[in-house]
Amino acid sequence: MMARLTATEAVPSRRRLPASALRRRQLAASAWLYLIFLAVATILAGTFVLAFMASLKVDPLERPFRVYFDQVNPAAWIDAARLGQEGAGDVLWGGLSPGAKVDFSVTYAAPTDTTIIEPKAEIPRRRPGSGIAAALTRYYAADYASIALTSSSSATMQVRDEGGILQAWQTRTFVYEITYRSDRQNGPRIERTPLNLTAPTSQTLIDSPISPSRAERRGRLLSWDNITPGALGLIFNNYRRVINETADLQTGKSLFGSWLINSLAIATGRLLLTLVVASLAGYALARLKFRGSRLLFAALIFSMTIPAQVTFVSNYLIFRDLSLLNTPWSVIVVFVASANVLLMKQFFEGFPREIEEAAIVDGANHFQVFWKIILPNAKPALLVNAILAFQGAWNDFFWPLVLITSPPEALTVQVGLLSLRRSFGGAQGDWGLVLGGAFLSVVPVLILFVLFQRHIVPTQFTKDIT
Amino acid sequence: MSRRSSEERSGWLFVLPFTISMTLFFVYAIVRTAFYSFTDYDLFKAPSFVGLSNYTALISDELFLIALRNTIGFSFIVTTVQTVLALALAALVNHAVRARGLIRTVFYLPSIMSSAAMTLIFLWLFQRDGLMTASVSAVLAYRRHILFFFAGLAALQGALVLNARRSYEGVSIFDPFFLLVAAAGALALAVVCALAGLLPVFDSDLLISWLNTQRHFLFMPVTLWSVALMNVFTTVPTLMLLFLAGLQSIPSALYDAAEIDGANAFQRFRHITVPALRPVTFAVVTMGVIGTLQMFDQVAILGDAAPFASRVTLAYYIYENAFPAGASARIGMASAAALVLGILTIAVVYVQKSVGVKERAE
Repeated sequence: MMARLTATEAVPSRRRLPASALRRRQLAASAWLYLIFLAVATILAGTFVLAFMASLKVDPLERPFRVYFDQVNPAAWIDAARLGQEGAGDVLWGGLSPGAKVDFSVTYAAPTDTTIIEPKAEIPRRRPGSGIAAALTRYYAADYASIALTSSSSATMQVRDEGGILQAWQTRTFVYEITYRSDRQNGPRIERTPLNLTAPTSQTLIDSPISPSRAERRGRLLSWDNITPGALGLIFNNYRRVINETADLQTGKSLFGSWLINSLAIATGRLLLTLVVASLAGYALARLKFRGSRLLFAALIFSMTIPAQVTFVSNYLIFRDLSLLNTPWSVIVVFVASANVLLMKQFFEGFPREIEEAAIVDGANHFQVFWKIILPNAKPALLVNAILAFQGAWNDFFWPLVLITSPPEALTVQVGLLSLRRSFGGAQGDWGLVLGGAFLSVVPVLILFVLFQRHIVPTQFTKDIT
Repeated sequence: MSRRSSEERSGWLFVLPFTISMTLFFVYAIVRTAFYSFTDYDLFKAPSFVGLSNYTALISDELFLIALRNTIGFSFIVTTVQTVLALALAALVNHAVRARGLIRTVFYLPSIMSSAAMTLIFLWLFQRDGLMTASVSAVLAYRRHILFFFAGLAALQGALVLNARRSYEGVSIFDPFFLLVAAAGALALAVVCALAGLLPVFDSDLLISWLNTQRHFLFMPVTLWSVALMNVFTTVPTLMLLFLAGLQSIPSALYDAAEIDGANAFQRFRHITVPALRPVTFAVVTMGVIGTLQMFDQVAILGDAAPFASRVTLAYYIYENAFPAGASARIGMASAAALVLGILTIAVVYVQKSVGVKERAE
């Protein structure tokens, strides 16, 4: 302290920072604030954005991770739409149907001293995926389509080599025409048209309407999973596969589709049940005096701290004895809506008493008051409760896992995701399907969130717990 | 008299559906669980009384002890980290007035995702050759650049501050304006040096087992650390919003008064913000404890992607005993473990509450 004093005295010229400098510091401080905030938000949102981008890719585990690929490239969308139009007259989802005539041009380049030869083109008999869909595929493009080279043209291009010196390379463009065979004009519409091109490694593919799905044999064999995808068929190929390739072997019905329907039914059922139970009980606990109300409230609070794992054995047995296992009813009914009751109770407590009392003096009974006066004025609380109940039921994993185990099409979407992971999510797995399924399962809740975002105010929760 | 009894009757009618559900699916279920924990029930033949043998079997079951340790460790680390991070983030966001609407949306999004979808996304992220590994590799490959940047930052900042102190008083070491200038300068220097080829880029082609590993770090398997990271990532934004709501309810006059009295930023935080946020903090910690002690979904989704001992939690241990793959159900063991989990939860919440209440009284 002493030393500091003397130092200040020794340098009389030291003075406070001028006002403009202080202002600059304030600005800089808020700049840091926003920078840090931006960084946090980027990490948060970025993870989801990257995961979503990966869910569009042919191989989500590719290394290095590209952020620019066909599925996010509008030029490729347009080409895909054109190919889909030529293949099946379907700009969006593509395909190959009778009468199709698809032009597919590829350009190879090579140094001047090597000649570019025509690649060997074939439509392979390739199964669409690794899963059950492989067993379900009945029609292969290989049986119905033929491919022929229609023209080729040469040109040159300038290439900069490693030393930075410009070199002239020759290029050759081959135009293939894929047609639906005329002797099979009564054939079915085929979902996708794979293509293989084999060419020596001395020549490189530099241009094609859509990029090859993968390169094999050190780049000698380029293969496309589908050259007639249509715009959405290109972008959301994995999502279409989630629906189509998780199919029941006997019926051929989409499993993921029925999981979505089951979840929707369960979430809707639980929403309705919760609204009835919670608004009635919430009102009684907030307003009516009856013996046992304090005990019930204590049980309510208690039940919110006890994990479902403590109660599930008994509940499993109850539904087993009622033969309601593997039905949506069990999952709808099993949930004890304590948090929702609490939410309604808190809302009703803040409700002005005078109106109800006037009605009761006029001779209305409690149910009439509840039905005619309370409920019509409780819409905001009911809405919040409905959203929470739906979201909770949709995202619920434990109860459906315990209560619905078979058949495969009876599962809910969350448990379905588990089976999706088991089938496709290994080390060498088909992560496009897994990520596609994960994002697809979020869509209903996301829609709800977008529609009712203003109403889901988190302050509601704080009051409950404290 | 008749009005009282009519209110009594209506009250009972109103709570009837809730009471049925509560009694049947909660109270009765707990009683049954307690009963089964003293029997050898296997879901099919009638249960017979076996005394405390399920509990003694639990204590001697190594897997149970691992599960217990994993659960407590996981709960402790996740609750602590998520509470601190959420509070820090809320304090930060509270000042960033202009972006609040956007913040609400961006930060609420993770909480609407189901744990199943979230776990799948993180499973992809945590693949051995996945994006997480790639990010770590990138940091390692450019470690010299990063080091150089921070060294440059420190040097520039030091020089700027010392220079300013020669003619001005009250210049902090972390002076925000100089820090901004120093950061820009250090970044420019690092870029120039990198372009000039003065900084080596290291080759790192790593494969990191985030999940499928037996390794431990401190008191927990690495697998659970990864799950903890994911859990924190999902919950922090939501909890942040709770803290933010609490922060915004503190009257700004309090801060102004304290500032006039000469309290610095830390003192203001310590003596105004922290006490005012005590109820919210209690809620956040309670929710955290309850949520983490019963962590189940993530472990179940992980499945065979990780060794059992590296991912087992108490909740999962209970489920595995009730529905073991390819064996008959051990309901007695499952029920005993379930009671342990229930009592553990209540105990932690109660202790947490009594500590919180005591602090509030001070």
